[in-house]
Amino acid sequence: MDEKVPRSNIIETEIPMGTVHPAALEPYRVRFFVEDEIVQEAEITIGVNHRGIERIMEGLPVQKANSLTEKICGICSNSHIWNSCRTAEMGLGIEIPDRALYIRVIMGELERLHSHFLYLAHGCEVLSHETFSMRVFYLREIVMELLAMIGGNRVQYGCSVLGGVRPRCELDEAKLLRLKNDMDKIEEGLTDFAARFTADSMVMSRITGIGVLPQKQAIELAVTGPSLRATGVARDLRTTMFEYEDFDFNVITQPDGDVKSNLLMRALESFESINIIRQAISNIPEGKLVNHDWEMVDTDITESYIEVPRGTLYHSYALESGRVRHCIIRTPSMANIGAMQYACIGDQLTDAQLCIVQCDPCFTCTDRAIEVIRR
Amino acid sequence: MFSNTLINSVLAVVLTVIVCFIISTLLPGIERKYIHARIQQRIGPLVIAPGIMAPLKFMFKENVKVESPVPGLYKILPILCFIVVLCILVALTPQAYAIPALASLVAIVGFLKVEEICYVLMGALSKSVMSLRMPFPDLAKGGAHLNAQRSFIEDISAKRSLRMITYGSFPLYLALFAPVTAARSIFLQDIVLYQQAHGPFLFTVAGGIAAIVFFIGYMIILNEYPFSIIKAKSDVIEGPYMEYASKYRAIVYLTRGFFMFVLGCVFSVLFIGIPPNIFSLGILVNIAVALIFVFMMGIFSAFSPVFTNRQLLPTILGATLLGILAVVIGLL
Amino acid sequence: MGIKSFSRARAIHVMLVYTGGCNGCDIEIVNSILSPRFDAEQYNVFLTWNPREADVLVVTGPVTHLNRKPLEAIYEAIPNPKLVVAAGSCALMGGVYKNCYGDIPSEEIEGPVENIIPVNAKIPGCAVRPQDVLAGVVSLLPTLLDAD
Repeated sequence: MDEKVPRSNIIETEIPMGTVHPAALEPYRVRFFVEDEIVQEAEITIGVNHRGIERIMEGLPVQKANSLTEKICGICSNSHIWNSCRTAEMGLGIEIPDRALYIRVIMGELERLHSHFLYLAHGCEVLSHETFSMRVFYLREIVMELLAMIGGNRVQYGCSVLGGVRPRCELDEAKLLRLKNDMDKIEEGLTDFAARFTADSMVMSRITGIGVLPQKQAIELAVTGPSLRATGVARDLRTTMFEYEDFDFNVITQPDGDVKSNLLMRALESFESINIIRQAISNIPEGKLVNHDWEMVDTDITESYIEVPRGTLYHSYALESGRVRHCIIRTPSMANIGAMQYACIGDQLTDAQLCIVQCDPCFTCTDRAIEVIRR
Repeated sequence: MFSNTLINSVLAVVLTVIVCFIISTLLPGIERKYIHARIQQRIGPLVIAPGIMAPLKFMFKENVKVESPVPGLYKILPILCFIVVLCILVALTPQAYAIPALASLVAIVGFLKVEEICYVLMGALSKSVMSLRMPFPDLAKGGAHLNAQRSFIEDISAKRSLRMITYGSFPLYLALFAPVTAARSIFLQDIVLYQQAHGPFLFTVAGGIAAIVFFIGYMIILNEYPFSIIKAKSDVIEGPYMEYASKYRAIVYLTRGFFMFVLGCVFSVLFIGIPPNIFSLGILVNIAVALIFVFMMGIFSAFSPVFTNRQLLPTILGATLLGILAVVIGLL
Repeated sequence: MGIKSFSRARAIHVMLVYTGGCNGCDIEIVNSILSPRFDAEQYNVFLTWNPREADVLVVTGPVTHLNRKPLEAIYEAIPNPKLVVAAGSCALMGGVYKNCYGDIPSEEIEGPVENIIPVNAKIPGCAVRPQDVLAGVVSLLPTLLDAD
């Protein structure tokens, strides 16, 4: 695919949107520069919800800091606490019980499901297709209740703790059975929806060829996660993570990098997630949930990368007498902002928000480390 | 004698308008509760909530200062829209056939055009807080294109309405003129009389095609999904109506339901030959037609995303060609 | 019950303003109105994105510095009678972010919402549950009905 070039250099006018806008689930400002309703350039301003969470983490006991990372994001909260625990565990060399690993994977995949469903629902909402949006929200509700069943809360579950998972998140027979039945329900619902969605020619005409992100450009912009895989690059960190060694799954790619590819990507990846959860349910090993058999020592800066629903998440910190030092968190949306700005170019203004949404923005994740200089 | 007839006629028109208006306030609720909510598998609001209770509630809200370069004109526009819709309904009543200048297709097309021009003015005059007036340091050092001209989202909406005037309303007007080919007259009286003699125009080939075109035009002029580009939620939020608050918003709400009903009446006059008249049973047909149109529109809009300019142009072009076909078949 | 309160009880327009929380509350609130499971429309609560149309403003998040003025502007734009619901622990008290820098006052967090605009109802929770959001908005009804 060729590189996209703006149609002309004429900027007729500028349309600012935000910070509150129906197409955006979180505050950010975007300025579209249009010529005859064709977007020539887009400028996304983030930092609107900068709260400085890394600064709060600095100097906190590592257990407290771990549970604080959940508050970075309300969508991928489990990923943050998972990766944060993982960082400490890697630094301290803590052995994690197999059962805990499996429960972490189940939670991670459930979260992927709910994040992808939110993406689909939000995508349909931005397409102004209320009915499809509601149908996906209805499916997502099943996942939310499962998460609430395991973690006790609908959004922030606090599943991982140092050395394993919280005893609250133990999966007994009844819970596993419910999980299993609900997976069938979700698969059925999602299959129906996907068939219905792809057969709808009106929706397809809206999303095919819109917001194209060419593969070359995606690699240059260091796009991660499903947005990258939607351009045809089979790069999924789950293939290298030791947690996923026992599981058999495919890395889904889509060829085009447009909104259609992105939406289908999420739907197909959800099926893989269901598959992984099913494998985890049938093979879940017995054993204890938390390994308390470790000692706190000072560590160097430890880095941990995991694949979260939106891409690659990076946590790194050092431990100093049990406290967090030099914390750095890099979220997938940070890398994808460039892709969002790029994907809008050359499309109608009505599609522009859709092009931003297709890269799965999560600016609340992203706005942590940006220093706001005020004069 | 003459004055008696006049008083009777005026009374009939007033009664008809009142009855139609009351029924029309139910239409948005019916669309929302029985079509959209049912398709979306939820309970949905009260039937009276969107059409009657919401306008009533807005009536009791405080009148705010409208952010607009010409607040006076901006506030008059919804009232003007309402009056235009009222005039169309009056023109359709059989009592108005005594005034040929009013009860002709040209007058109805003129009224519809006024309605469309109102949208342009509304869009151009509304300066909402949701885009450019949002206090945000946009023009900071390092921002892109600091010298570019800056617009409100409603300006885009105004441009779109202008575009819709130029090509968007073709299907509706073509469909309106299709019955003329059969009746050979642009006066509503002749069209009605012709259909009473020869049966409804709807059941001819030309009439059937024209009815489809009319339906597409109906959705376009009502700005319903998928043709709601001038108030697409994903970019211009509510477009021309952004700044209306309290009483003016109530009128906007009422106009929408009323316009749905009146366009249904236009259809029943032009295609079935039954004018809205409170003293005949024919008004039941008018109500039925209005309801069928609302049902159909509800189903269409629940299953479609909003169209951008890319899809609108071919859709409208196709509908226009169909309309031309209907007119040609009618003439042959 | 006059016609004023009768109509107000049957059409409530809610506007959501997010001011920099973790996104959890925003999604739960949108979910509670959009999802057919909770379906706020059956209680005649409609979601709107236009401040001129809104009756109830639901605010989430601890109000970061850049969000303060937009929040004030949107609050100003709503015609009276208007009510504000603060949803989530961030909006109620600044959440975990309030004491970001210990004793040094934070420059980033302007919240809680009470510091900026008057709040009529508070919905606790991190994140708020959709049931609580509906209950919170409905609990405002008496205040809304009796307003001028």
